[in-house]
Amino acid sequence: MNPLALLLRPVAGADLPALERIAAASAHGIGSLPSDRDKLSARIARSIEAFASQDTASGEETYLFVLEDREAGRVVGCSGIAASAGFRDRFYSYRNEFVVHASAPLGVSQRMHTLHLCHDLTGYTLLTSFYIDPTYEQGLAPQLLSRARLLFIEQFIERFNDRIAAESPGLANEAGQSPFWDAVGRRFFNMDYAQAEALTGGRSKAYIADLMPHSPVYVALLPEDAQWAIGQLHPVGELPFAILQEEGFDADTYIDIFDGGPTVEASLAMLRSVRHARTLPLRAGAVTLGLPAWHVIATSGREDFRAVLAQLPPAAQDLSPGHELAARLGLAEGARLRVTPVDPQAEQGGR
Amino acid sequence: MSFLREFEAADAAVLAGWVNQAGVAVEPALAAGECWLIAADAGGRPQACLRLRERLGLSLPRYSYHVGRAVHAAAELGLFQSQATLLLGNDHTGDSELADLAHAPDCTEPVAALQALIMAALARIAAQRAGYGERLVVELAGLRDAEGHPQFWQGLGRFFYAGDPAAARQRWGEAWTSHLAALLPRQTLYLPFLDQAAQAAVGRVGAAGRHAAAALAGSGFAYGRHVRIDDGGPIWELNLL
Repeated sequence: MNPLALLLRPVAGADLPALERIAAASAHGIGSLPSDRDKLSARIARSIEAFASQDTASGEETYLFVLEDREAGRVVGCSGIAASAGFRDRFYSYRNEFVVHASAPLGVSQRMHTLHLCHDLTGYTLLTSFYIDPTYEQGLAPQLLSRARLLFIEQFIERFNDRIAAESPGLANEAGQSPFWDAVGRRFFNMDYAQAEALTGGRSKAYIADLMPHSPVYVALLPEDAQWAIGQLHPVGELPFAILQEEGFDADTYIDIFDGGPTVEASLAMLRSVRHARTLPLRAGAVTLGLPAWHVIATSGREDFRAVLAQLPPAAQDLSPGHELAARLGLAEGARLRVTPVDPQAEQGGR
Repeated sequence: MSFLREFEAADAAVLAGWVNQAGVAVEPALAAGECWLIAADAGGRPQACLRLRERLGLSLPRYSYHVGRAVHAAAELGLFQSQATLLLGNDHTGDSELADLAHAPDCTEPVAALQALIMAALARIAAQRAGYGERLVVELAGLRDAEGHPQFWQGLGRFFYAGDPAAARQRWGEAWTSHLAALLPRQTLYLPFLDQAAQAAVGRVGAAGRHAAAALAGSGFAYGRHVRIDDGGPIWELNLL
């Protein structure tokens, strides 16, 4: 794989076959990408509309990006953003809370782990739909695919919330059975996990409130395999989760109400990609000196947003229009790029 | 044939070996706000006893679980789920109580003896109505497994208190359940979160309470949807109004 051949861009109508391929390959773990052709097609249409819309954001928008290998001439991954979790409704999560139960006469003081049904993440911007072709898992492609979204959100923050969350698939076996679901959700939904997933298609349907208990769940009362599943990742979620953790997302507070997988959240400004991001204008006569390091580079357009990988000196304040990057993105003098180092630590070490 | 009479100091030694309707050893002692009634044989020897308390829970908080129901319905999913719930509370505060319903191990007709005592207690209440509450309640022993462990405790209490509940009751007497309540969840508990045996034990009378239950049923008492917080034994009640 040549990192310079990778391009992240908004999904287009012609990407439908590629997305169908992705939906089929990712049966588990990417619940937000339906495997139904019509639904996928509608999803693409909604994304195209969201990128193009001049209107004030309503929060209903969902943006979908695809990662293209221009040398291989094919789409090798996708990632998405939902502008507002639980749009027009509530977004449900379980919040981990620790309650100390104490009795002085009995000489007991113990920390009890409880789960509280909450709407804390309602209105947060959600990172969704991460999928990368397994042959591209190594190297920089996943970094570009995940982190370019943050540069998009940052540049168009008026369309998003400055609190960001992302769900990760929880533990489940080959047959799709989830120990957490079996111990909690099943008691109230009276159906299989997959069935409930298909029915609710998200975490914001009103009947979740109708069916789930509103008093805290005492974790000690759950079977051991369900206790163990709390906050545990399905193996397919490890790569995107690791990238989010490196970004600085907090994974300790919220879990998914269905499968117990970790739901991470953070304030946009605290995220690594955003903290280290800077704007580089294309300016004639710019001289770029220093050891180059890999960066995620994003353009400033919305409908024609693009992001790529490139090696730039970490200290560069501007970029010559003659730089290969300008040619690759088809940009001329005066354009502005938003860039963030892939690995800020290495950058410091390289100085 | 039994003769009903008041408690006498000499009875203490006889009653001390008996086990009451809650499965706890009787500890005869006279206290304010309560009285003992004794059923004795022709020779004056105690055959059965009970203790009548005017009001419970006014100095030491008394806890119980209210066994309720929560219905979760979602018309669009065609789901209608009805689940039993437990809610910790002090619902019987101010009620009157029958306690220490017990009989001699060799008592030939324990149910009849206990029922005679219950009737005497009701007559006493009727005579001094103002001194008693709206309801007369009695706690009965919960189910126990072959090793003598209450299934309800195994499914709930032990996760909140690691010690031995029998030893704790011995040590703290009635205050034990007040202390235990401090360790239990305050919010509604959904019964399906407990294991099957614990769920099945809720409100069922254990062996120690069987004779008392028969006598109480014959006197008009019934299960009032409350259970003991340690062994899940039922609390039966009789409306006094």
